[in-house]
Amino acid sequence: MKKSKFIFLTYPLAAVFAALILMAFAGSQDKKCGPEWDVPAKYKTMKNPHADDASLERVGKMLYSKHCKSCHGAIGLGDGSKAASLGVAMHSFAEDKFQAQSDGVIYYQSFIGRDEMPNFEKKIIDDEDRWALVNYLRTLKK
Amino acid sequence: MKKYILLLLTTTFSFVLFGQDVEKEVDKPVRSPFESGYLIDNQTTVIPVEGTLEFAIQHKFGTMDNGFSDLFGIYSPGANIRLGLNYVPIHNLQIGVGATKKNMYTDLSAKWTIFEQTRENTIPVAVALYGSMAIDGRNKSVFGSEKVVDSKGPAEEEDVAFNDRLAYFSQLIVGRKFTHWLSLQAAVSFTHYNMVGWDYNHDMVGLHLNGRVKFSPQGSFMFNYDHPLKIKNISEQSNWNTHPEPNVSCGVEFSTSTHAFQIYVGSADGIIPQDIMMYNQNDWLDNGLAIGMTITRLWNF
Repeated sequence: MKKSKFIFLTYPLAAVFAALILMAFAGSQDKKCGPEWDVPAKYKTMKNPHADDASLERVGKMLYSKHCKSCHGAIGLGDGSKAASLGVAMHSFAEDKFQAQSDGVIYYQSFIGRDEMPNFEKKIIDDEDRWALVNYLRTLKK
Repeated sequence: MKKYILLLLTTTFSFVLFGQDVEKEVDKPVRSPFESGYLIDNQTTVIPVEGTLEFAIQHKFGTMDNGFSDLFGIYSPGANIRLGLNYVPIHNLQIGVGATKKNMYTDLSAKWTIFEQTRENTIPVAVALYGSMAIDGRNKSVFGSEKVVDSKGPAEEEDVAFNDRLAYFSQLIVGRKFTHWLSLQAAVSFTHYNMVGWDYNHDMVGLHLNGRVKFSPQGSFMFNYDHPLKIKNISEQSNWNTHPEPNVSCGVEFSTSTHAFQIYVGSADGIIPQDIMMYNQNDWLDNGLAIGMTITRLWNF
């Protein structure tokens, strides 16, 4: 068999590959949550017109399962099946820090989004449905 | 006369004003009667939000009648696949294009949801129109010199023209979401092939019934039944030897934010509706079932 003219690259490439593998061990596996959210004032003071509307419970749960569960996890701990492939860690919805935010802020985070958190305005179009989801996130409190 | 016109105008005007008052209470469309625009190999009345691009992958394996020897049709050569792209340029109107392995069909389609069912039953059902035109793209040599024009005089052989390759399907779909877990649809369709074999009919009228039963927030059972009708008045044949078999299928669907994944067993080997309504010869009661999948992916722009 004729030898390739690139045979001389074998050892350097093997060395680079080995170095890359070793470097992977050196890096931290611990992912950090993103920086604080910069929420516009409009959303901070936004009132939830459907707060305590029990008729929307099932709607919120359905929407959570379809749109949020794969990343945020079945009960919102931030441990969904796609969580590992994300660059940042997610706050748990059960945490006091998350639950202390106003409904308007959660609305902004959920539907406007940023970076890895996608915008859901075109996926969940009806405002009533969006508030149903915010209401559902409230039920995930510890 | 003028008095009557004046009276008519004032009453109409007052009705318009009255109508505007009532319209303040908007009766919104019901929440997702189906999770996708596809139900196995049929269409639903659902169209994604304006500006959505949908990629559809539809695959059917060979029939399962050989059992383990071809792993229930998975190793069978009789598989069929369609890749399609659909786009929603304006609210409730979708246009699409697709390519299918069987007969090398290229299809162009359009779906218009005329009415959406509303929550307070102001409109009790959803109504949609679906139309598809397919082009049989096989090489000329496949058709050979089989095209015979039956004129009053002696039969003449002719070359296959572009027009002869076209087949049309149009469908009126009426659907209703009965409860949050049950949605059903009924439809009537008309299929026309510009050219068929001498022992086939050019036209076919069909009835369709399908639906879904939701068993979890993301999971549903689905079923579909397409029935090509035997109508003597539009038949060109003296017998029903080539009349297609009904397409019977059932399966499950799992949906996420951007995907719908449907896996099913069904009897038709065709994927585009005109082919199913004209050429399905697989009998679901006689080893005619095959495994199939429909997968959709959405992108919002």
